[in-house]
Amino acid sequence: MTRLVVVGNGMVGSRFVEDLLAADSAQRFDVTVVGAEACEPYNRVLLSEVVAAKHDLAALTLPTPTSERLTVLRGTHAVRLDRDDRVVEIDDGRHLRYDRLVLATGSDARVPPLPGLRTGAGLTSGVHALRTIDDAREIVAATLNARHAVVLGAGVLGMEAACGLARRGVTVTVVHPAPALMERQLDEEASRVVEAAMAGLGIDQRVGRGAVEALTRHGRLAGLVLDDGTVLPADLLVLATGTVPSTALAASSGLAVDRGVVVGSDLACAADPRVAAIGDCAQPPDGASGLVAQGWEQSRRLAARLCDAAPAGSPAAPSPAADVVRLKAHGLDVVTMGVCGVQRPGDPTQRTLRLSDPAVGRHVEVVVSGDRLVGATCVGAGSVAAELVTAYTRRIPVPLDPAHLLLTALASRPTAAATPADLPADATVCRCNGVSRGAIAACIQDGAGTVEEVAAATRATTGCGGCAEDVCTLLDVLRRSPVNARPGTAPAASPTSDLLREDDVTKGKHMIHSAETAAS
Amino acid sequence: MPATPADGTATHCPYCALQCAQRLTSSVPPGRTAALGPAQPHVAVAGRDFPTNRGGLCQKGWTSAEVLRAPDRLTTPLVRDAKGVLAPATWDEALDLVAGKLTRIRTEDGPDAVAVFGGGGLTNEKAYQLGKFARVALGTANVDYNGRFCMSSAAAAANRSLGIDRGLPFPLTDLAGADAVLLLGSNVAETMPPSVAHLSGARSRGGLVVVDPRRSATAELAGEGAGMHLQPVPGTDLVVLLALLHVLLAEGLADTAYLARRTEGLEEVRRRCALWWPERAEQVCGVPGEQLRAAARLLAASSPVHGGRGAYVLTGRGVEQSRQGTATVSAAINLALVLGLPGRVGSGYGAVTGQGNGQGGREHGQKSDQLPGYRMIDDPDARAHVAAVWGVPPESLPGKGKPAVELLSSLGTEGGPRALLVHGSNLLVSAPNGHRVAERLAALDLLVVCDFVPSETALLADVVLPVTQWAEEEGTTTSLEGRILRRRKAVEPPPGVRSELWVWSQLASRLDAPGTWDTDPSLVFDELARASSGGRADYGGVSHSRLDRDDESAAVWWPCPPAEAGEPEHPGTPRLFLECFPTASGRARMVAVDHVGPSDDLRPDAPLYLVTGRVLQHYQSGAQTRRVRDLAAAVPVPLAELHPLLAARLGVVDGQPVCLTTARGSLTAPARVSEGIRPDTVFVPFHWGGPDSVNRLTSDATDPVSGMPEFKVCAVDVTAGLPVDPTAVPAREVHALATGAAS
Repeated sequence: MTRLVVVGNGMVGSRFVEDLLAADSAQRFDVTVVGAEACEPYNRVLLSEVVAAKHDLAALTLPTPTSERLTVLRGTHAVRLDRDDRVVEIDDGRHLRYDRLVLATGSDARVPPLPGLRTGAGLTSGVHALRTIDDAREIVAATLNARHAVVLGAGVLGMEAACGLARRGVTVTVVHPAPALMERQLDEEASRVVEAAMAGLGIDQRVGRGAVEALTRHGRLAGLVLDDGTVLPADLLVLATGTVPSTALAASSGLAVDRGVVVGSDLACAADPRVAAIGDCAQPPDGASGLVAQGWEQSRRLAARLCDAAPAGSPAAPSPAADVVRLKAHGLDVVTMGVCGVQRPGDPTQRTLRLSDPAVGRHVEVVVSGDRLVGATCVGAGSVAAELVTAYTRRIPVPLDPAHLLLTALASRPTAAATPADLPADATVCRCNGVSRGAIAACIQDGAGTVEEVAAATRATTGCGGCAEDVCTLLDVLRRSPVNARPGTAPAASPTSDLLREDDVTKGKHMIHSAETAAS
Repeated sequence: MPATPADGTATHCPYCALQCAQRLTSSVPPGRTAALGPAQPHVAVAGRDFPTNRGGLCQKGWTSAEVLRAPDRLTTPLVRDAKGVLAPATWDEALDLVAGKLTRIRTEDGPDAVAVFGGGGLTNEKAYQLGKFARVALGTANVDYNGRFCMSSAAAAANRSLGIDRGLPFPLTDLAGADAVLLLGSNVAETMPPSVAHLSGARSRGGLVVVDPRRSATAELAGEGAGMHLQPVPGTDLVVLLALLHVLLAEGLADTAYLARRTEGLEEVRRRCALWWPERAEQVCGVPGEQLRAAARLLAASSPVHGGRGAYVLTGRGVEQSRQGTATVSAAINLALVLGLPGRVGSGYGAVTGQGNGQGGREHGQKSDQLPGYRMIDDPDARAHVAAVWGVPPESLPGKGKPAVELLSSLGTEGGPRALLVHGSNLLVSAPNGHRVAERLAALDLLVVCDFVPSETALLADVVLPVTQWAEEEGTTTSLEGRILRRRKAVEPPPGVRSELWVWSQLASRLDAPGTWDTDPSLVFDELARASSGGRADYGGVSHSRLDRDDESAAVWWPCPPAEAGEPEHPGTPRLFLECFPTASGRARMVAVDHVGPSDDLRPDAPLYLVTGRVLQHYQSGAQTRRVRDLAAAVPVPLAELHPLLAARLGVVDGQPVCLTTARGSLTAPARVSEGIRPDTVFVPFHWGGPDSVNRLTSDATDPVSGMPEFKVCAVDVTAGLPVDPTAVPAREVHALATGAAS
């Protein structure tokens, strides 16, 4: 048995255990999970949906694998890591021995160093991060009495939190020091379109403005001072100012820690290949995106590596497509991927195409390299965004003219359908029996006067019956035409030759003939 | 018998599982042999009123009689001669040869060295007798059938969740009253057109929701306010379902009282679905999150718990023919359960069965793991019951055999079967990874094919036996709604043609098999009824004479157990689950499933998805419909449907050839440019053989639960112009190989 200890029981840690148990067909691993939160793992991504009153709190719980080879210690902190003895010490003093250690400790909300935010060890009353299920509960409770809410930081979480609070009827102001909202994803032009949409939702914004101090009164939050001296009254402040990878355990044991725990492309620590890190706490060579998709991809890869005979250090190619950002915010439609945002390297091989339509809140930009889509920014783009995500994540070759990417390729057909009388002769009226308009016209010309007679001659309407109305229309239109009064008149000479063309008659006769033959 | 020659013969269409009612009028009444040459007999077809088709027929049905006089109809046994040519032989010569070779192979390598492959188009009587023939006369475990390619995923999922697998556990006509019908991967407007009438109620209330990567004829029905069309990336239908479940559970739209009372396993399903919020699902399945939410809310509003008139969730091959087909159907069932639909009149879950007798064909023992009555072959009680009916010791019955793809892959390999008997299947065209199938068939010592036309598979055989079809025989089929229907004889078969029931009785006798081998279909049915009695698909109270009574209730829905002495006959069971589910606990079992994705996903040298399917004018491998002039003329070759943007990138216009290449084979087909398909997807129908066979390209990866191959999605490269297919084996060479191996 290989003793595997996993520190962290969040979205990535719990997924990793599931992946590992599934991949461990040889049943080599004995797994112990140490999770700080007392509850079962839950979907952190949806906490903003809870704030927005769009999601049932009970429906957040994630699958928890069960296995005889698995022990899960919830509400338990790992306090010390001794790599020489290969021991993790937990807060009840027990020592967990490991042969392999996986750190999935995630990240904590970053609290900016502003005066007035903290009191003692905690946050000032009225100030909340949005990182845990308890944070979400507290924010929801606070909205009951809050009159002015401020969201500090307009990254993905801040945007979702602001929209969620607004949806609950709270007056919200967003404060964001960068020149663009979600500046990692949006450039300034795109940001302006989103700002207008947010204003439409009644959300006030201070873009390009930082906060310098939180004001308190009687130990409670009272307002926020901005760097231009403005004072925003506030009785609820949600901090969405980024996260800090939880690296204390790794750092204390001498593992290389930069922003996160430094790992190679195989997700192992260079100094100690027995230790790997995944998810928000890890810093892989290609950087951490902070998105759960990346952590899940790492989880799958690490589980496969630990269970395979494949030598360490020959990692699978990292997924190129784990950087799609999709805002879940009521009333805002923002999707970005790949090359996007304020700061992007200029690459002469890339073409950037843009559809700018701010008046209706639409802004679509695609970045193409060769025949592949390498980036996109979609604001108010509707289903175009879903199509671009598919093309981007699956590396599907783009159209000859990539400008087509800016509009949906799956537009529904125009609904103003032609009346059957306007259809060309070879157009199918009865799909079930493959009967053309021409065939029906010919049989009407030959004297059929009712749907039943048309059906008997051509079988039109005898399948699903959906074309009966069209046949009635043809009967109405064609019976009224003079050609019926003179059967046998050459249709080309008839004044209604626009309705009954030569090929109508030829095809119609053929159809009737074949109908008789087949039925004989 | 209500159907006298004077007013025609009341029967049902030879093609799909809708089994439209027909009346056949023959110029030569049955009982008199027509000695008028190959152009005979003349049979006129008319639609007949019946609840499912309401007198309607599609073009296939109207022209179905033409197959009776196919110019190349097989009328004499054929045996491959020393020169490798299929030459006429007498029945005795052919049967002696087959029995002799089978005996030798069984003696040398044991009974499992002979394999049997059946079909979902065989009547109940033949399907039953085929399974019995395999188990009793041949003693082989290796029997499976083309229904493995059709209904196996739906069957596996329904059995594990609902305790029983009847495609529609309610009459088809019930659909008409519902507010919403969710159709997943089912193109009924092409495959069973007369059924579309039953969707008109949901359409008129804006509730038809179609999930299909193409804007199929069925998806068109959801346009103009009639409902919604969700157009996912191929192979991601399961994600659509998980997201719908997520929305229902997250937004408090589930029928919690129903879930508490009638189901188990919700908690795991809830957790699994917590991972599939719509915005994440959108990134995988390509369906905008708002559409997913809207569809979920539409279904919820239509459900009884929210005061709707009812809702149905229906699955078809589009979502089932995948390596996660069983999981996908499980998710569809979970969706129906969360909405509180199954077991409520006017709501439910169903699988739309495909083949003519796809329902009955999967109940009576041609499946590798089953005995008649949907009994499982590893259940000792089931073995004892069936063995008693067959008059053999239970221990003489073989155990589970290999499912179809595994069976076909093992043919002619070390330790694999050396002989194969094929009935009612053109597997060379209908099985996935066709080149490999051809290789395996060529490696056999003996291939025997029973058919009525020289199908692509028959042309590879060592022995071809000409058998009766449809209007030349008596029997029963069980339709998509689980209703047992009489197929009646309208004309005499051509001289020289025999029923498969006769073929098996002859072979059984030559093989000195125990048991009785009736050739009268009504007697075989009576035996089937006894063998199925007490099983899940209980036909015990049914007989040909009951089905022949002249009233509407004559065609009964199973289960229909035999009447106790002195009791009135069982009326049959139009609607299942009204009281409870036939599971151990009486509750429906929700099975938590997750998305894995296609086995052959996109890669740089195959950056598009290939999906396959059907066209209205053709049925299955096309062996019948390609022989009908109007149908062949309407759609003579497969067309590769692709989006204008893709066509422009390839530099082709409508009608020009495009070449499709997968890891397994190539195909060149004219382009059909259509805005209705995703730009990342190419669609090709599979009704053709030889170089036109798209199943030479499809993947034979299988679902781990059902054994269903992943027909519906693989990675493909598409280029303009003509192909070079290095794996193509010319048909002549295959013949030569087959002959060489057999000699």
